[in-house]
Amino acid sequence: MTERTPHANAADKIKGGTQPSSISFMALLIALVRRELRALWHDPWQLALISYIPLLGILCLWWLFSAGLPRQLPVAIVDQDHSQLSRMLTRQLKANPVTDPQSFTDLSSAISAMQQAKVYAIVVFPYDMKKDLLTGHKPTIDVRYNSQFLLVGKLLSSQIQLSLGDGLLHVAGLKQLANGTPKSQVAVNLSPVKSQTTALFNRNNNYIGFLVPPVLVALWQLLSMLVMANSLNRELHLAPTNQNNGIVNTLTEHFWPKVLAKVVLFTPILMLQGSFILAWLYLYLALPMAGSLALLLVAQLVMLLAVWSLVLFIFVVMRDSARVISFCTALFAPAFAFMGITFPTHDMPQLAQWWRLIMPSSHYIESHVSVVSYGAAWPSVAGQLSSYWGFICLLPFIYLLSRQLLPSTVSANNVVAVVDSGVALPAKGQ
Amino acid sequence: MNIWRLMLTELKAIISDKAIAVTLFGGVLFYSILYPLPYLNQVPTEQQLIVVDLDHSSLSRQLIRHADASAKIQVIGQVGSITEAKRFIETRKAHGLLVIPEGFRRDLMLGKGVTLSYGGDASYFLIYSAVAEGLVSAGMDAGKQVQLIGMLAQGTNPKQAEQNLNSMHLNSVPAFNPSLGYTPYVVPGLFLLILHQTLLIGTGILGAGQWRQKGYWQQVSPVQLLCGRILAFMLIYLFFTSFYVGYCYHWYHVSIQASLGTVALWLLPFLLATAAAGVAMSTLFTRRDLPTQVLLLISMPILFVSGFVWPIALIPEPLVLGSQFIPAVPAIMGMLELNQMGASWASVMPKWLQLWGLFAVFFGLAILGIKRRVRLLAEANQL
Repeated sequence: MTERTPHANAADKIKGGTQPSSISFMALLIALVRRELRALWHDPWQLALISYIPLLGILCLWWLFSAGLPRQLPVAIVDQDHSQLSRMLTRQLKANPVTDPQSFTDLSSAISAMQQAKVYAIVVFPYDMKKDLLTGHKPTIDVRYNSQFLLVGKLLSSQIQLSLGDGLLHVAGLKQLANGTPKSQVAVNLSPVKSQTTALFNRNNNYIGFLVPPVLVALWQLLSMLVMANSLNRELHLAPTNQNNGIVNTLTEHFWPKVLAKVVLFTPILMLQGSFILAWLYLYLALPMAGSLALLLVAQLVMLLAVWSLVLFIFVVMRDSARVISFCTALFAPAFAFMGITFPTHDMPQLAQWWRLIMPSSHYIESHVSVVSYGAAWPSVAGQLSSYWGFICLLPFIYLLSRQLLPSTVSANNVVAVVDSGVALPAKGQ
Repeated sequence: MNIWRLMLTELKAIISDKAIAVTLFGGVLFYSILYPLPYLNQVPTEQQLIVVDLDHSSLSRQLIRHADASAKIQVIGQVGSITEAKRFIETRKAHGLLVIPEGFRRDLMLGKGVTLSYGGDASYFLIYSAVAEGLVSAGMDAGKQVQLIGMLAQGTNPKQAEQNLNSMHLNSVPAFNPSLGYTPYVVPGLFLLILHQTLLIGTGILGAGQWRQKGYWQQVSPVQLLCGRILAFMLIYLFFTSFYVGYCYHWYHVSIQASLGTVALWLLPFLLATAAAGVAMSTLFTRRDLPTQVLLLISMPILFVSGFVWPIALIPEPLVLGSQFIPAVPAIMGMLELNQMGASWASVMPKWLQLWGLFAVFFGLAILGIKRRVRLLAEANQL
């Protein structure tokens, strides 16, 4: 702490010597934004992060899931009965768009196909199935589905049961007709309680509407985190004496205006990426959308500001480029798992629910779902946005910490620069 | 410098570099706890359901009790109309709704068919499937009971009636992940991916930090350097992999079917190929903060293209072909087949050979890359 004063004095001298004190805040900000633009232009990685990487990433991730609805999933049929009934049931499975029955002559080859993930389920029609059915015994149809691939397995399990159940109902109907039940009564006898299951808000269970938005939001969050972290880290590596247009490169000098300049520059760029995601999904692909896009843009903006306050906090605490990046990575990489889309939030353990609140993306995704699915309006979205209060509480902390910690980094950097200015800078920096 | 001395030097360089040490030791430990954390409860249960009972009969009340008794559903209340129920869903107080139509009991007793309506919030697939499963089984149960009463009333003998109702038995059983749990589904693939990414980041940072400075890496031949580096990382990852595939799989209830020997044999080319790929990739970077960023951005695509979340059959062919060059992709699929689904060694053999092939390719690329870096540094020094 004792060595802080001479450096601060030196900084004051530099400031006093080079900067007319009459410079207005707006002019300073514009100069700082210009400086950010110049830095951006000379950094190919940052340019990539705001241009082709998001474009490529968004389109590739969408393309991956572009099939949307799982169709024609291979299912092994082991027909040991070879009767009209077993063939009828196989045709039932064939008529279902989700299943693609493939005949296997014996069980062992079907099992090995399932173990190699060539088929996702096995249906076994037992020997004498039809005879047992006609003679009043109760034959068993065995179905095994691959639950290691949970999504596929669950889907197949319900679809196979649906198809086979429908086929068996048909058989039972014939039996009733043979017994002399009037035709009008048969259907009611068979299934007195019919059920109509509706998938609310995503009528055809489309995976693009379900999975792609959170995946892309997670990607977008990573990109905004990296852009801001890189931009902040750059300030650590600038030679402290180097100055242009009256702007001092020392970290402590105009720290908050510099941060503001970064926010002013990168917010529109990142919002462009965010609105590209929305435009691609809800305008070009025309996924169902109950609310208004403008509300989602507001939600995105707030999320972006939250991401940046978090990155700024980590930067102020760590103050070392490699550590900032690795800490931000550790924090943001699992964001997708914590969003609560694939696995419901209220079924997570308490610790996970708390951790989830640290991620801006999990706050955003709630607004996203309520706008897209439920058509939420201003008041309810505004209510959801208030859940970001924790990030606002972060700001005074950042301010206090920046007052406390940044000067020590500056002096440490100066010492390094003095001791071996020739080697340290190129090795540490670009 | 012989190979063992070189390996020791490498180990020292890895451990004394804070960024690498934190990524490797901290990252591997931290992620082993953090990633599966949301899924620890395995199965979504007790999803809130709101009921619109327009019938108010004994049978409708029984149906509601049956629905509530299902482990997947918790009935939180009754409202008078569908619009009100919808409001409950929109405010996230409920995730599904059940509509019992007017005249439900009377129609059934008169021998007319009735239709029950179920709705689930399909913005969340797992919630929707839990609600649908719970309600369908409760509804079927109620239907069967009514049928049974009807048949008994018509004078069918009880045994015959039972027989008529369930003329065929559908025995549908999940295979490989019998509990349908979420961690046995996510953990095996995800943890291999974490090993893959951290290993790539570790080798990436180490290389990127060295290429611009003189050091021990110039004093040995590229082949020696590569062998030493791979050996050093293999030694560290021997422990990490044992921790993940041994202890963590056990801890997170992953079903395990292969023997220790086969799993080790399977993971050997995976780790070798990944380490070689990491060194090859590191020769492209001279900024130490870049490898982490690049690998962070591609980890989600690798996870989804590896084929256990979204079936490979539905992923566009070019993406599948392109992803075959990433060691994690064949490794994850092969590991699932071998260890979780109990496939024979012969059937995963092609993927195993593919991993060895990738090792050979990346080994060659890494040598070329290191040679280039040696030349570039020599030129820079001459200038």
